[in-house]
Amino acid sequence: MQRSTANRLTPYMFMAPAIVIMALALMYPLGYMIWGSFRDWNPSQTIGEAEFVGLKNYITLWGDPNFHESLGVTLKFAFFVVTIEMVLGVGLALLLDRDIRGISVLRTMFILPMMIAPVVVGLMWRYMYHPTVGTFNRTLDSLGIPRVDWLGDYALMSIIIADIWQWTPFIFILSLAALQSLPRSALEAARIDGATPWQQIIHIKLPLMMPVLIVTALLRLIDAFKVLEVILVMTEGGPGLSTEILALRISRTATEFRELGVAAAMSNYLLILLLLLTVAMFAFNRWQETRAARVQALVEEDD
Amino acid sequence: MIKGLKSTAVGLTTMAFMAGAAFANPYAEYEGTTLIVNFPAHPHYNAAMKVLPEFTKETGIEVEVDQLPYLKMRERQTLELAQEEGEYDLIGYVVFSKADYVFADQLENLAKYFMNPKLADPSYDAADLIDGYVENIGVAGGTKGYLPGKTGSLFGIPFGSETSVLAYRKDIFEKHGIAEPETYDQLLDAACKIPELEPGMGGMASRAASGHQASHAFLLHLAPLGGRVFDEAWNPIINNAAGVEAANALKTIVDCGPEGAMSFGPSEAANAFSNGDAAMFMDSIAFMPGFEDPERSSVAGKVGYAMHPEGVRRGSQTGGFGIAIPKNAENKEAAFLLMQWLTSKKGDLMVAMEGGNPSRFSTYQDPGLNEKYPFSATFGEALKYADPDWRPIIPVWGKINADIGTTMSKVLTEDLDIQEALDGVAERTRAVMEDAGYYTWQ
Repeated sequence: MQRSTANRLTPYMFMAPAIVIMALALMYPLGYMIWGSFRDWNPSQTIGEAEFVGLKNYITLWGDPNFHESLGVTLKFAFFVVTIEMVLGVGLALLLDRDIRGISVLRTMFILPMMIAPVVVGLMWRYMYHPTVGTFNRTLDSLGIPRVDWLGDYALMSIIIADIWQWTPFIFILSLAALQSLPRSALEAARIDGATPWQQIIHIKLPLMMPVLIVTALLRLIDAFKVLEVILVMTEGGPGLSTEILALRISRTATEFRELGVAAAMSNYLLILLLLLTVAMFAFNRWQETRAARVQALVEEDD
Repeated sequence: MIKGLKSTAVGLTTMAFMAGAAFANPYAEYEGTTLIVNFPAHPHYNAAMKVLPEFTKETGIEVEVDQLPYLKMRERQTLELAQEEGEYDLIGYVVFSKADYVFADQLENLAKYFMNPKLADPSYDAADLIDGYVENIGVAGGTKGYLPGKTGSLFGIPFGSETSVLAYRKDIFEKHGIAEPETYDQLLDAACKIPELEPGMGGMASRAASGHQASHAFLLHLAPLGGRVFDEAWNPIINNAAGVEAANALKTIVDCGPEGAMSFGPSEAANAFSNGDAAMFMDSIAFMPGFEDPERSSVAGKVGYAMHPEGVRRGSQTGGFGIAIPKNAENKEAAFLLMQWLTSKKGDLMVAMEGGNPSRFSTYQDPGLNEKYPFSATFGEALKYADPDWRPIIPVWGKINADIGTTMSKVLTEDLDIQEALDGVAERTRAVMEDAGYYTWQ
């Protein structure tokens, strides 16, 4: 009896350290943030001194036009960044998935941008976009084309370009790895059946890569919602609020407006949004897999 | 051997006694104390750190400095001051922290130190401290809560404070026969004339980037043009005629300014001026020494300095940093001695000679300093008109400031109607103030 109890408990005992660490490192700060979001809390107070205000912070945010604008900017930024990066990254991977001389050097060079510290990337692009001495405007000058006020009139586009430059390589290397681990037999069969390269890509490579691509897109999406330093250095959210993405607004709310409760509530909104997106994406993936399995089962039945 | 030591000891004691009788050393009691101070990374504090060894030599009090970028410093202090026992004995604080720290009762009231005959130096001459700075940075509890007045008292001493002056290109102004701008009309006129007369050169370089920078630039014009953010009863009046005029002034300056001026921070504006891309620059005195450094500036020797032009009144900015003793400090008395030494006539001059911003009128008149930095006398004159109330220092200011800044940025970039934009700011500001309890008595 006792031995069986001990046996039953063994797995839990092995899991206990992991659970404790999870609870301390993940759940505690998260709980703290949720708890803080119900309070009118300024950084000169300890959390205990802060007044409990219930859902006030969430309700205020719900009606706050600045928050709406910031959320809009974030969604726009994330959508464009992830879409364009996915297209470019996967495209590049399909192009470079072959034996060309010096391909390994080329691949290493492609992933350089993502190894640079975000603050440096921000500064670099800020100087390149500089209205008078920046690389872009000087090039335009020498071509006789009128100058563009990159960080003024086209600020959001400019930061999207910078982000694409930095993060396309991430999608590129993951897609390349996925491509190279595809079953060669399927591709060979397709070739023998006379599929054109386009048909191979659309009907074989992309569907087989899909699970990896979904995870990659998800990782990029989560990251795009949290990007802070590059934008902070390049535009500080301006002009107006045109590039103030949520992460930047949260940081400003906490340090500049000194409203920790509101900042926490905003973080929770962001968290909920990301959770929903993640769940939706996984659900989509699962649905596709089951559908594929069903199709396969039907095909096998037919055989 | 032992005998020798003994006689030395006796000798030393006698000497100490004699010295004590002839000249009491107020620092003796604190000799060997180590003070931990928190300073911002700022040219003034870099200069101060160069004279700290002199303080240690003179007093025997050691000083350890924890220097941080000023926004980081503020975050750190906010956490540190809320502790039971703090790490810092003396802090350099940025002016808008005054409201937060004093309101949270985290700074020592300095009265008890200046009352203590063992600590207060009778030759300190507080009257020589620059009025605008003391009122803006040091005193709280008087008029409107953040200004001096009969109910106010002193919580800090200005150290590394700044005001605004106008720097302009003497050569360009002379070439086209434009007079040194003394009024706002002349300033705006010159700002838009220059791009026509000197193609490729902007009139005036100003900060204008979204957020704090644009708000700062707007407020810089608001006070001299007769405006205020609030009236005496905390009603927002930022959208009155003076407010609209100030916003118009900023828009004119940016429109006639160097290319890309809409996204300038202060250092970019200063760079535009020192590269020769703009003929004027009006901002903090902290930038001015850089223009005279031939290695970093292509306009060295060609720059004239004038007072912040007059609108309906004179009103240059006040801001920068002060030093204060946290309530939870360990060595408060020794910290006071350091504070007093640094801001004494002698200390202030020493820091100024190393490139710091003086806190005293007498320092600006010093012949040695004027020889090294020829613009010092002008600055001293300008400081007589420094306006301690050019921006409110209240705990909710951060939020209002950000709103003014983003709205101004929209005015500059998206051509938002100025009156409408300022009405919006006033309305949102009222809601913030209402929420913070400023209308409880109405």
